[in-house]
Amino acid sequence: MPCSGIGKVHGLIAREATYAVTDELAPVNAETLCLALLVSGDEEALAKIQQSDCITIDGCPKLCAAKNVEMAGGRVVRSIRVVDAFKNHRGAQPGTATTLADDGWTIVREIAGDIAGCVCGGSEVK
Amino acid sequence: MKRAILPCNGLDKQQGVLARELALRLMETQGAEVICPVLLNNSPARYEKALADASLLVIDGCPTRCASKLANKLGLRVDDKVLVSEEAKSAGLDVGESLRPGSVGMQLVEVMEAGLARAQELAVSEEPATDFESPTDYLTVTYDKFIFKIPAQGYLFNENDCWVQAVGSRARVGVSDFVQQSLTDITYFEPAEVGREIEQFDEIGSLESGKSMMDALSPVSGRIVAVNSQLVDSPELVNEDPYGRGWIAEIELTDFDSDKELLLDAAAYSMIVEKKAAEAQR
Repeated sequence: MPCSGIGKVHGLIAREATYAVTDELAPVNAETLCLALLVSGDEEALAKIQQSDCITIDGCPKLCAAKNVEMAGGRVVRSIRVVDAFKNHRGAQPGTATTLADDGWTIVREIAGDIAGCVCGGSEVK
Repeated sequence: MKRAILPCNGLDKQQGVLARELALRLMETQGAEVICPVLLNNSPARYEKALADASLLVIDGCPTRCASKLANKLGLRVDDKVLVSEEAKSAGLDVGESLRPGSVGMQLVEVMEAGLARAQELAVSEEPATDFESPTDYLTVTYDKFIFKIPAQGYLFNENDCWVQAVGSRARVGVSDFVQQSLTDITYFEPAEVGREIEQFDEIGSLESGKSMMDALSPVSGRIVAVNSQLVDSPELVNEDPYGRGWIAEIELTDFDSDKELLLDAAAYSMIVEKKAAEAQR
């Protein structure tokens, strides 16, 4: 579950890392869901989140994804903050809220690989 | 006036992805402020100033309409709305199911952007929106167990049970307490098109309840400069506050002096209500 992350590059990284996991690295083991569905109380979304182990990816320290998944009754097994990933990439130029630069994609791949390893129990990463 | 945009989250459906693309496009081309829906829900104060100073465009991807629901929940005044799935249907474009905006998707974004620009040209008001105050004094008409309220001052009525409240060259129109009580629980509101020129007694929206439906007929002539989009999601506001939050449209007046000749003040309208209430009981 990434944060909504619109309007900021950190949010875009959270979103792209999610797509990389659900579309490429672990499409069988992971799926994603619109956070706004939880916020608006969509019953189907709430039921799904309550039956799943959730990994949240937040762009900024406000932790919207982690907080809302927990409030919706989801079990957050791992909470990832994009800002933390930047600590290993001092001076990185990640791009903008609409387009990622090379540094941004590097961080996306790093986060996505981390999540895919977690989702697939460290093996069978597609 | 600056524009603020509240898009849906737009993560797991193509229409949502395009809602987000449209929001970002407008951010880049118009300098609009994009509001993060989840952050808004968690910390409304974060966007208080941005929302106070701007007109609000809500963009929903799919019919679940998460962004509209959020705006409604927070009581935001919505000036424009876009539902991407409907826009795709209108434009005859099949955007597919990929979560990447393909060429057809981007074509739809361009269509929507152009449509919004046209609507803005038509709807843009030359003056800031006028403040309309809710009534404080009422005349009442009592019939059997019903009590119908009519604002004592500041409102005029047509015989079709619609009211107008004029401030300067701008007016707000809606339906009376008699209408909302007659319809009972209102479940559906269809707004008129912003920018349309209307004559007195032209239709300015329709209301429907489990009991009946009604086309609201404008007490005045002019140009529709805004509609109360909140009623689309919360038509019950007409029941709760027919003379205030249940307003239907704002009109830029063109011939109010002539219009007034066919309108009634509170006392005259109360006699109409009395008569209609008696007829309804027969």
